[in-house]
Amino acid sequence: MLSFIIRRLLIILPMALLVVTVTWGLIRLAPGSFYATDRQLPAAVEATIRQKYGLDQPWYKQYGMMMSNIIRGDFGDSLKYQGQTVNEIIRRHAPYSATIGILAYFLALAVGLGAGTIAALRQNSSFDYGSMSFAMLGLSLPSFVFGPILVLVFAFWLYWLPPARWGGLVNLILPVLTLSSVYMAYIARLTRAGLLETLRSDYIRTARAKGLDERTILFRHAIRGGLVPVVSYTGPALAGLLAGTVIVEKVFAIPGLGNIFIQSVLNRDEPLTLGIVAFLSILIMAFNLVVDVSYGFLDPRIRYE
Amino acid sequence: MIKPAIVFMLVVSVLNSCSTSGGGRYFGKTVAPSDNVLRYVSGSEPASLDPQMSTGQPEARLYMALYDGLVENDPKDQSPIPAIAKSWEISPKVDEFIFHLRDNAKWSDGTPITAKDFVYSFRRGFTPDTISPTADVGYFVKYAQAFNEHRVFVRKNGQFFLEKDFGGTASDTPAPFGPETEFHKLIHQPDKLTLDGDEKKRAKQIDADPKLKAAIDGAEFVPINAEDIGLEALDDLTLRITLKQTAPFFLGVLTHQFFRLVPEKAVKQWGKQWVRPEHILTCGAFRVKEYRPYDALILERDPNYWDAANVHLDRIEFYPVEENATILNLYKSGGIDAFLNHSVLASWIDDIRQYKDEYMNFPENATAYYSMNLSKPPFDNPKIRKAFQLAFDRVALSNFRKVTRPLYDITPNGTYPAYDKAREKVSEEMRVKSGVSPEVWEKREKFDPDQARKLMAEAGFPVEKSGNGYACPKFPTDQVAVSYNTNETNKAIAEFAQAQWKENLGITVPLKNMEFQTFLADRKALQYNGFAQSLWSGDYMDPYTFLSLHYGKINNGGAGFYDPAYDKMLDDANTELDQAARYEKLARAEFYLMEKLPSIPLTVNATNWMKKPYVKGMYPNPGTLIAWKFVYIERDPSKWDHDVDDIMKQPDQQYDKQMQELTSTQKAAK
Amino acid sequence: MAENVELIKGASLWRDAWRRLLRNKLAVFGMIVIAIILVAITIGPALIYWLTGYAYDSIPTNNDLVRSLPPSWGHLMGTDDAGRDIFARVLQGGRISLMVGIISTTVSLIIGVSYGATAGYLGGAIDNVMMRIVDILYSIPYILIVIVLLSVFGGPSTPQWIKWLSETLGGAGNQGLSQIFLLFFALGLVSWLTMARVVRGQILSLKNQEFVMAARATGVGTLGIIFRHLVPNALGPVIIYATLTVPSVMLTEAFLSFLGLGVQAPFASWGSLASDGIKNLAIFPWQLIFPGVTMAITLFSLNFLGDGLRDALDPQTRKF
Repeated sequence: MLSFIIRRLLIILPMALLVVTVTWGLIRLAPGSFYATDRQLPAAVEATIRQKYGLDQPWYKQYGMMMSNIIRGDFGDSLKYQGQTVNEIIRRHAPYSATIGILAYFLALAVGLGAGTIAALRQNSSFDYGSMSFAMLGLSLPSFVFGPILVLVFAFWLYWLPPARWGGLVNLILPVLTLSSVYMAYIARLTRAGLLETLRSDYIRTARAKGLDERTILFRHAIRGGLVPVVSYTGPALAGLLAGTVIVEKVFAIPGLGNIFIQSVLNRDEPLTLGIVAFLSILIMAFNLVVDVSYGFLDPRIRYE
Repeated sequence: MIKPAIVFMLVVSVLNSCSTSGGGRYFGKTVAPSDNVLRYVSGSEPASLDPQMSTGQPEARLYMALYDGLVENDPKDQSPIPAIAKSWEISPKVDEFIFHLRDNAKWSDGTPITAKDFVYSFRRGFTPDTISPTADVGYFVKYAQAFNEHRVFVRKNGQFFLEKDFGGTASDTPAPFGPETEFHKLIHQPDKLTLDGDEKKRAKQIDADPKLKAAIDGAEFVPINAEDIGLEALDDLTLRITLKQTAPFFLGVLTHQFFRLVPEKAVKQWGKQWVRPEHILTCGAFRVKEYRPYDALILERDPNYWDAANVHLDRIEFYPVEENATILNLYKSGGIDAFLNHSVLASWIDDIRQYKDEYMNFPENATAYYSMNLSKPPFDNPKIRKAFQLAFDRVALSNFRKVTRPLYDITPNGTYPAYDKAREKVSEEMRVKSGVSPEVWEKREKFDPDQARKLMAEAGFPVEKSGNGYACPKFPTDQVAVSYNTNETNKAIAEFAQAQWKENLGITVPLKNMEFQTFLADRKALQYNGFAQSLWSGDYMDPYTFLSLHYGKINNGGAGFYDPAYDKMLDDANTELDQAARYEKLARAEFYLMEKLPSIPLTVNATNWMKKPYVKGMYPNPGTLIAWKFVYIERDPSKWDHDVDDIMKQPDQQYDKQMQELTSTQKAAK
Repeated sequence: MAENVELIKGASLWRDAWRRLLRNKLAVFGMIVIAIILVAITIGPALIYWLTGYAYDSIPTNNDLVRSLPPSWGHLMGTDDAGRDIFARVLQGGRISLMVGIISTTVSLIIGVSYGATAGYLGGAIDNVMMRIVDILYSIPYILIVIVLLSVFGGPSTPQWIKWLSETLGGAGNQGLSQIFLLFFALGLVSWLTMARVVRGQILSLKNQEFVMAARATGVGTLGIIFRHLVPNALGPVIIYATLTVPSVMLTEAFLSFLGLGVQAPFASWGSLASDGIKNLAIFPWQLIFPGVTMAITLFSLNFLGDGLRDALDPQTRKF
C-alpha cells in the first residue's frame, strides 16, 4: 500500500507538467493574444511586444524557457495584471474558493449522505420519492438560477442577508447554499444507488444471517461498500469545488479562482492559465489518489497490487 | 433540502409581485452613509493601476481619482479644465503649448511635482519598451510616433535628411513662441526624414524610393531618442509641448489617461512592480489605502494633494463587479452608492426610469456600428451596403434597446452641438447641389425598404415576394454573417438586425457569436464575413476621435477602409484654426465617408447608470469620467438630487464655487 | 427468487427487463412524458408557426409589441424582451437541449463504461496508465478545447460533413447550428471522464466476487467477463450517473453559451432561456418559469425512467 501511494505521488508532478504542455499547445492554437484590444497597435509596437515577451523565438525555445521556469516553481508574471506574479494570484485567491468549496462540500455531504441513506433503507417509501424528487430538482435548478432566487428571497423579501460580495459569515451563506445544492443532489442519489446495490450483496446477507442487528449492518458494513460511487464522484468534484466555480463567483461577486481562471483563458493570459491548470491538476490527481486509497478501506474486496 | 420551501415562496411571491414592485420613491434602500465614503462598482478588475498601461474605461475612471494630468475633464462636459497646470498659452498656429504649473502640486509622498516630472512621464509613455497600448493617442507630439516605433533619422556629413526633400510637405517656419532655447531651435528645424528601425524593412523602404536610394550611400542611421520628442521643461514650473501639426483639440487629448503623471522615482526603483500598493506613488486627489484584487480597491483622501481642501470624500471604495444583475442587486440593497455606465439591464429600464432621482439617461461620447468587410464579396459592392443600411429600421432598434437613439453618421449626434450645426450646413449644401427636395433628402439614410429592394435588384440580387414576406434566393447567405463578441447588448442588436433583414429583404443573415479574442483576431485580419459589431468610445471630446476611425491604412474602423482622399480632407480640416471652419471641413469629410459607407451606424448609447440621491457633485458626462474630487455625500434629504434629467442645469452651490475657483487661474491668464 | 429462476431458464435479459419496466408505473409515466415532449419539439414549432405565425426568431414588426408580454391566448408562455413567443422558443430550445443531453450522455456511456470497466478489470499497470490519462484529460480546461475547436472548425474551414449535418438539421444557411455539433463533440469529450471513474470503482469491488471467478473458470474471455458479467452488475450506479449527466451537460452548454461558445443566437436552449429569464425574475417571472418548468419536468421524467431502467436491468432485482 505504501509503495503504491509513493509511486502515485511521484507521478503527479510529471503528469502535471504533461497537462501544462497540452494546455500550452492549446493556448498557442487559439486565436488572439494577450495584448490585443479593440485598438489597433502600430506594427512596430506589436513587434516590440513580441520581442520583449520572447514571442519571436522559435516555439521550442519558448517552450523550453517556460518549462525550465515552471519546474523551478516559477510561473512568471501575469500578462494581463501587471506587476502581479501568478503564484501570488493563486495564493491570494485560492482561499476564497476553498472556503466556499469546503463549506459547500461538507453541507452537501451531510445532507446528501443522510437523505440518500434513509431513502435507500426505505426504498419506495414516500421519503424516498420525496427526497429523490428534491434531489432531482436540485439538479435541474442550475446555480445561475438558484443563486438569484436565493438572493431575491433572502436579500430582498426577508432582508436577512446581503445579496453579494465577500465579507463576514453572513455573506457566505447564500453562495454556500447555492454551490452545495447540486452536489447535495448528486451525493444523495449516488448514495442511494450505491447502498441499494450493497444491501443486496452476499456479505450483507451473511451478516444478516449471522443475526447482526440492522444498525450494525448498515454502519459497519453496508455504508462502506455503498459509498464507493460517492467517493469516485467526490475526488474530482472536491477538486473542482476547491478550485472555484465560475457561476457562483460571478453571481455573488466573490474573488475566487474559478472566475480568474476563465478570465485568464479568455484574456490569453498564458502564465496565469498554466499556473492555475497546474494547480488544479495537482489537486485533481491528489484527490483521485485519496479516492483510490480510500477504496481499499471502504471495500475490503478492492485491492491494489 | 431547503429548496422546496424556496420554490414555494417563489410561487407565492410571483403572485404578489405586482404589489411589491414600483412602490417607494427610491430604488431599494436609500440611507445616506454616516461616513464620507463612496462605494462605487467600477466594472471589470483593473488590468493595472499604471495609467499608461491600460486601454479600458473602467481603469480610466480609477485614474481620475489617483492621478492628475496637466488638465482635467470638466465634470459635466469633459472640456479641459486646469489641473496641475494652472494656466496655459497656445501658439498662434495651435501646434505649440506652454503650461504653467502650480507651485504646490505634490506626489503622495510629499515631493513636489515639477515640469521635469511631466517630461519624464510622457517620454516614458512613448518609450517602445514601456509598450503602452495607448501611446498612439499622443502621436500628435512631434517625433513621438517615430520614437515609439523605433524609427531612425538619417544623417550624412553632419546633416539630417529632411522630409521635404523626399516627398514630404515643407513645414512653414514657425512664429516665435515662448523663450528661445537650444532645444526649441532644434525641434523647429524642418521636419527630419525618419525611416524604419528594422533593417530589412528599411532596406525595402529605401529600394522603393530611387531618390533616397541614390542619396543614402555613406549616410548613417541615428536612432530617435526620448530627447528628440517635442517636450521641454523650460523651468521647474513651465512645460512646453511642440506638436507635429496643428491640433486645436490637443488640450482635450491631454485629459486622456496616457497623459496622467507617473512617478519617475517609483518606476525606476520598482520597475513593473511600482503599482503594487506598497510601492505606488500617486498624484491625484486620492491615494491607495488598500487593494484586494477582484474584491475592492480602497482609496483615501491624499493630504498632500494640492487641492486637498476641496476634496470632500474621505474614502472611495471601488468594487470590481461585472454581472449587471449583481450590480443592480448591490445597489438595491444599499451596498453601493453608484455604479458604472451601461449597467442597467435593458429589460429593467422601463421600471428603473420611474426612479427619476437616480437614473442617469444622457447621451454618450460613443458610437455603435456594424463594420462591413469591404474586402470580401458581397459587401465590396456599395449598392448592397446601402441596401442593408436602408433595410434596417434604426428607429425601431433604438425603441427596442430603450437607452439609445438612432444614429446615421459615424460621429454621435447631440454630443457636439457646434459640430451638429456644421453637419446640417454641409448636408443642406449637398442637397442643393443634388437638387432633391428636403423631404426626399431627409429620408436618404433612413429606413426605406422599397429603395433597399430596388438597390438589391440593381446589384443583381432581386428580392421577390414570397407569401407574406420576401425572399432573395440568389443572395449568398453563406458568405455573410453578423459577428459579435459575447455580450447581452450585442446579442440583442444582432437578433434584431437579423429579423429586420429577414423581414425587409428576405435574407436571413446568420449570427456569429464569438469569444472576444477570437472576434478581435477575425475583425483585425478582416477574416469575418459580412458584418462585425463595433463600439467606439471617444478618446477625447472632439469629432476627430470618431472620424479618425477610418483614417490611414491601418485603422480602428474594422472595415478595411482606406481612402487617401478622405485622409487628406481630415488633414486639411485639422490645419484650420477657426473652429467653425474646421468643423465644416470635418463635416464634409464625414459626409464623404458616409457616401462610401464602410459601416452601418446603429445607435448613440445612453450613459445608463444610477446613483443614490444623496451622492452629489457626480455628473453623467459623455464618457462617464467622474471627477471624484467634486463628489460629496449630502446627509440632508431636502438637499438631495431631484429629477436628475435636469442635473446638468441644476445649480449646486458647492460645485459651482469649486469650479469657479478651479478655472479662475486660466481665465486670469487669458 | 422468481427472477433468478427465470435467469437460469435463460430468458432474454432485455425482453425480461422490458417487461419489468412496463410494470413500473413511474417509469411508464416518465416514458410517456418524454414521448410527448419529443413529439412536441419535433412538430411543435411548425404547428405554432402554422397556427399563429410565431417562430422562435420572429420579432414583431409592430414596435409596440417588441417587449415582454405576460402569457395570454396569443402567447401561451408570454414573450421575451424582443417580443418573441416564449412557447416557440421553449420548443426550439428543447431540440438543442435534448440533443446536447442525449448525445453527450450516450458518448459518456459508451466511452466511459467500456473504458472504466476495462481499466478496473485489467487492473495493475494498465489500470494505472488508463486512469492517469483520465486525470490528465480532467485537468485540461475544456473551454480552451472548445475555443480551439471553434476557431479551427468554426470558421471558413468548417469540414463539409459538419456543414451538411447542420444544414440538414437546421435548414439552409444555418451556420449557427454547426457550432452546436462542435459543442457535442467537446462536451462528449469531457463528460465520460467521471463516468469512467465511477464504473471503474464499481468494477474494482465486483471483480473478485465468486461469479466472476466462476465465469473465468468456465473459460469466458476477458471481453465476455467485462461486458456480460461485470458491466450488467454495475449498471445501477451507471444509470443513475447517466441520468445525472443529462442535466449537467445541459447546464454546461448554458454556461458555454454564456461565454459565447455555445449555441448561436437566435437559437436558444433551455439553459440559455433560463439564464436570460433569471435576470428578469422580479419583473417578468414567466420568462424563467416556463422554460424552467419544462426543463424540470423533462429531467424528472428522464430520472423516473432511469430509475425504472435500473431496477428492470438489475440481474438481482428484488424488493426490500
